[in-house]
Amino acid sequence: MGCDVVTVSTDTKFVHLAWREHEKELSKVAYPMGSDATGALSRMFGVLDEGSGLALRGTYIINPEGTLLGTEMNFYNLGRNIDELLRKFKANLYLSRKTTEACPSKWKDEGDKTLLPGANLVGKVHEALQG
Amino acid sequence: MSDCTPLKLGQRVPDFELETYEPAKGDFGTFSLASQIAKKRWTILFFYPADFTFV
Repeated sequence: MGCDVVTVSTDTKFVHLAWREHEKELSKVAYPMGSDATGALSRMFGVLDEGSGLALRGTYIINPEGTLLGTEMNFYNLGRNIDELLRKFKANLYLSRKTTEACPSKWKDEGDKTLLPGANLVGKVHEALQG
Repeated sequence: MSDCTPLKLGQRVPDFELETYEPAKGDFGTFSLASQIAKKRWTILFFYPADFTFV
């Protein structure tokens, strides 16, 4: 899909290696595990908890031009839904090609109903989604 | 660093580089936004609190 996932925590790359090799749940992990030991990147994205020095559960989608298009942040005790992340990535990928369209909340994959924002759509979203 | 305003949607992300562990290669490496842009690839950054916890 022309996309790379990189995970980031404030651990060192050495700890990443140790964790990846010891935790059997991670045995299939192939993506690069990034080290933000200074917290600078986490701070730049606004996910650094300054009290603990740890990064909160933030996810960021950046397009091939380096523009930030998507963000989601959860507190420590709530995991992220990968299906929703994949949906948002697919939608961003689709919209990068179909720049006049918009993906409604129920959009899941290519072929699903999209909207064409414009004067005709004002007050007519319900009809457009049915059609 | 209260003077640091977090990035907003639609903004160009300043270049950054991270040291990585790359399980696919079994080796350390680096990841940079500049190289992603050069390769015309999308990037998903997935922050989490700490290794050896319960992601």
